[in-house]
Amino acid sequence: MNNESIDDAFLREFLLGKVNDEERVRIEDLFLTDPQAKDRVLGVEQDLVEDYLEGTLTTADRERFVSRYAQTPEQRRRLRITKSIKDWAIAEAASSPPRKTSGWRGLFGLRPAFAIPIAATAMIVIVVAAIWVSRRAGHSAIEQELAQLNAPSSVREEPVSLELAPVTVRGADSKASFNRQLSENEVVELRLLWIQKERFPSYQATIRRVGDNQSYTVGNLKPENDGKAIRLKLPAPLLSKGTYQINLSASDGSADSAEEYQFTMDT
Amino acid sequence: MARDFAVPPESFDEILAWFNPDREMAAAMYVQLRHDLAKTFRWRQCSDPEGMTDEVFDRVARKIRDVRPTYTGDPRLYFRAVANNLVKENFKKIKTQIALEDVDLTKQQISEADAKDAEIEECLHGCLQELSSDKRELILAYYAKEKQAKIDHRRELAERFGISVETLRVRTHRICLSLETCIERRLRRNGQRR
Repeated sequence: MNNESIDDAFLREFLLGKVNDEERVRIEDLFLTDPQAKDRVLGVEQDLVEDYLEGTLTTADRERFVSRYAQTPEQRRRLRITKSIKDWAIAEAASSPPRKTSGWRGLFGLRPAFAIPIAATAMIVIVVAAIWVSRRAGHSAIEQELAQLNAPSSVREEPVSLELAPVTVRGADSKASFNRQLSENEVVELRLLWIQKERFPSYQATIRRVGDNQSYTVGNLKPENDGKAIRLKLPAPLLSKGTYQINLSASDGSADSAEEYQFTMDT
Repeated sequence: MARDFAVPPESFDEILAWFNPDREMAAAMYVQLRHDLAKTFRWRQCSDPEGMTDEVFDRVARKIRDVRPTYTGDPRLYFRAVANNLVKENFKKIKTQIALEDVDLTKQQISEADAKDAEIEECLHGCLQELSSDKRELILAYYAKEKQAKIDHRRELAERFGISVETLRVRTHRICLSLETCIERRLRRNGQRR
């Protein structure tokens, strides 16, 4: 944020409507024009919502909060959504407490009655690991094919194209979809719009089908159109019916932020 | 808010050109500015943020031919100034009508009044499946503690990832935003089916 005098406490005052007009305009200007400032304001707002849901706001602040954040059905629905996310995380954390075992010493100090089931479990793990290694080989082959397909020198004629905006852009078309049968030799070409100011020399994309654990990563994707779009080519046989999610980030991992895209294969 | 349709259609193109000579970039800025302006209207307790955002764009569209050649600086600030004037004009309309005690979540009135918590939870579980496991785990860890305990917990979490607490907050906020969008989409879809 450009202005160092604006700290979290001040932003909280702003969000609760406690600042004067001049200060409000200054923060709104930053919010509209400075992405870092925007992230920070939204972060402080997120903290404020949490404090409200946890009941830690003072009476006066709670009333101010309610008058700003719980007036319309839409606002109340958003609060309930945040509450449900928090409730889920707390319940999940409570149901899986951290392990208190003391590593190998604890394992070797076990009585035989426990050692047998552990040995059986170990055998299962070995078998599962063997299966995983064999699947991994298939996985690597697919990633290799993706890398070749997306290499700058690779040219395929008339791929099926689709332009995708990040899902975090409200109003972006979240229903992007292919609704025709693709033949085995076809290539689907996605044009991923990069809306962040910061640009990178190359990107990596990770694609996965929603509901599947398997994901595929394609690296060294070069941006085009002055860094505003990244082209990702996918072979049709990889895409079965379902929703796909793509995470795009800088190849060197230096980017704090990544973008997420979605599209659906209808057939 | 009723829209004024006497806006020349070519003005929209001119607005985009004002944002950025590149049409794609301009379109992204347009979408983002609409979202951000609506947010500022919400902060100011306006009852129809989206309608007021439309009105801002309509007003700018009507004046853009005169304004653009002489205006210097970020055009988004011009939109913000128009938005500010609009809020002042509509001051009476933005006064809240609902008594505070009617909407206070902590008094458990929301879940009773809207009775949609179970549906939201169902949508949340579906949307969590759409998240990558990394993101799911990050959200789980971030929200695992409450009140005072969460401060130390998040500091430790940020250290573990080698990032600042602020960056951690930004990351989780983005994930939450995508979760929220997903839940709203599912709720809308469920509503359409009924």
